[in-house]
Amino acid sequence: MIQRIRTIALHTFKESVREKVLYNLIVFALLLIGSAVLFASISLGIKRIMLINLGLSSIAVFGLLMAIFIGIGLVSKEIDRRTIHNILSKPVRRFEFIIGKYLGLLLTLVVNTAIMTGGFYLALYYVERHMGGEDVLLLEAVYFILLQFAIVVGLALLFSCISSPILSAFFTFCLYIVGNFLGDIRWFGRESGSVIFEKVAALLYYLLPNFSDFQVISQAAHGKGVPSYLMTSGSLYALLYVTILISASILIFEEREF
Amino acid sequence: MIQGSKATYRIRPQARLCWLLLAGGFLALWPIQRAIDRNSEGLGVHTETLYFSSGRALRDLSLGHAGLLADIYWTRAVQYFGRKRIAHARRFDFLAHLLRITTELDPHLLMAYRFGAIFLAEKPPEGAGEPEQALQLVRRGIVANPSYWRFWQDLGFIYYWDLKNYKMAARAFKTGSQQPGALIWMKAMAATVSAQGGGFQTSRLLWSEIYRQAETETVRRSALAHLAALRADQDIRELNALVVRFRKEEGKKPDSLENLVQAGYLKGIPLDPSGVPYVLGADGKITVGPHSKIDRNLLFESAYQPRAHPQMAKRR
Repeated sequence: MIQRIRTIALHTFKESVREKVLYNLIVFALLLIGSAVLFASISLGIKRIMLINLGLSSIAVFGLLMAIFIGIGLVSKEIDRRTIHNILSKPVRRFEFIIGKYLGLLLTLVVNTAIMTGGFYLALYYVERHMGGEDVLLLEAVYFILLQFAIVVGLALLFSCISSPILSAFFTFCLYIVGNFLGDIRWFGRESGSVIFEKVAALLYYLLPNFSDFQVISQAAHGKGVPSYLMTSGSLYALLYVTILISASILIFEEREF
Repeated sequence: MIQGSKATYRIRPQARLCWLLLAGGFLALWPIQRAIDRNSEGLGVHTETLYFSSGRALRDLSLGHAGLLADIYWTRAVQYFGRKRIAHARRFDFLAHLLRITTELDPHLLMAYRFGAIFLAEKPPEGAGEPEQALQLVRRGIVANPSYWRFWQDLGFIYYWDLKNYKMAARAFKTGSQQPGALIWMKAMAATVSAQGGGFQTSRLLWSEIYRQAETETVRRSALAHLAALRADQDIRELNALVVRFRKEEGKKPDSLENLVQAGYLKGIPLDPSGVPYVLGADGKITVGPHSKIDRNLLFESAYQPRAHPQMAKRR
């Protein structure tokens, strides 16, 4: 089973790296990270902070775009091209296919994030001319960005099982936005004075992916590490949410007829 | 069109027209945009727009990138301030708003509080001339970053230099001196300001400490400039007293400092800290020579009147 999942994951990875959009996004991200050096020079006293904020935000935004644009086609593309029949006619179970697809795209994102992080550290070294322990701490923020990607890929995969690529992209992006405002939604529920609205808001708060749990870029820019409790709980949260999303994807995919 | 083995590419007339329109269109855009910009500059459209008035709302809309937005707003504030200062503007209407948005987006952006307070506190055209706003900004910084004792130092400076409220300045220095990590100098400053209020000795102590603590060459240079100006001020005060004495004892106004030397009031023509002789002005007052390197903006006319904020050093 593991061998089959690995094969699908590697094929997905190879297929993803052939996507032209991926290279465009990487180039844009690296350009933006490089330009942070110039942006910082027109500001005052925040060269390092600006470089870190812009660098990590670029990694997060462009990685998110990669996760959405590649993730949405993970399953639907196979169905459109009818290649799904070939794959499923082989001794590959449907859940193996879904897990393999997920891991393949995640691997693509990990590799791309590593490339962008490399570019980011180069820009940082260019500005600072040295590297210290504080710079290594920035990897914690990169890790949290990757946790976000893991959930976004899961969402894209889920929608890819039930919808067309365009709608999948729309739903994934909307959920990402909503996932950043869950705290506000809960607050609105409390302030509304309606018990039903408050309960619904609380339900949404726990049901939808809470992306604000992974926002540590600003903290990292000020040289503050991620607290260990957040590191553990954030990792657990992402792992659990990804498990839920993959399980849901498998359930849908198992029932699907081609 | 490809012909035989030798490839020649012939552009069709329609394509040629399209290329022409493309190039011509872009060329025509340039003067049009310039004309629009000229008019916009006149109306001040680009420079005087806030877009958003609440940093908290922007923070929510930033999708986790509030830090980056804060950097952008801080850069905008710096650019806004720089533009206004170059234009010798006397109004900085949006400065306080831009700084508030910046610090609401990132409450830990220490530089925005520190430099922002300087921008706000300085008198026009050097700054916005809004020391009360500067105090508010620094106080917000203290609330958001209670362990950062230097905000108390900044608060003390604003009270001392810009508001001349020596009692409050002493209190700020004293509170700051009680914060963890605060330099011992803060305690000394609190005592000095409390005992002497504003005076040359206090100012000298302030600038000497800034020179000692300076983290950048710019700050160090500026502190030296202020110390030199303070010394020149003291010299000018003493020389003016000599001129008055000369007038009383000799019964005539001196034409130049040579008269004072000839009459034995001075051993020679005194030099300012930059090595240039002082001169006697047409108004009968001593001033620095035209070639002096002493910054005239830092000099006080007669009585002691603090003008420049010590932290201005960082942008001089």
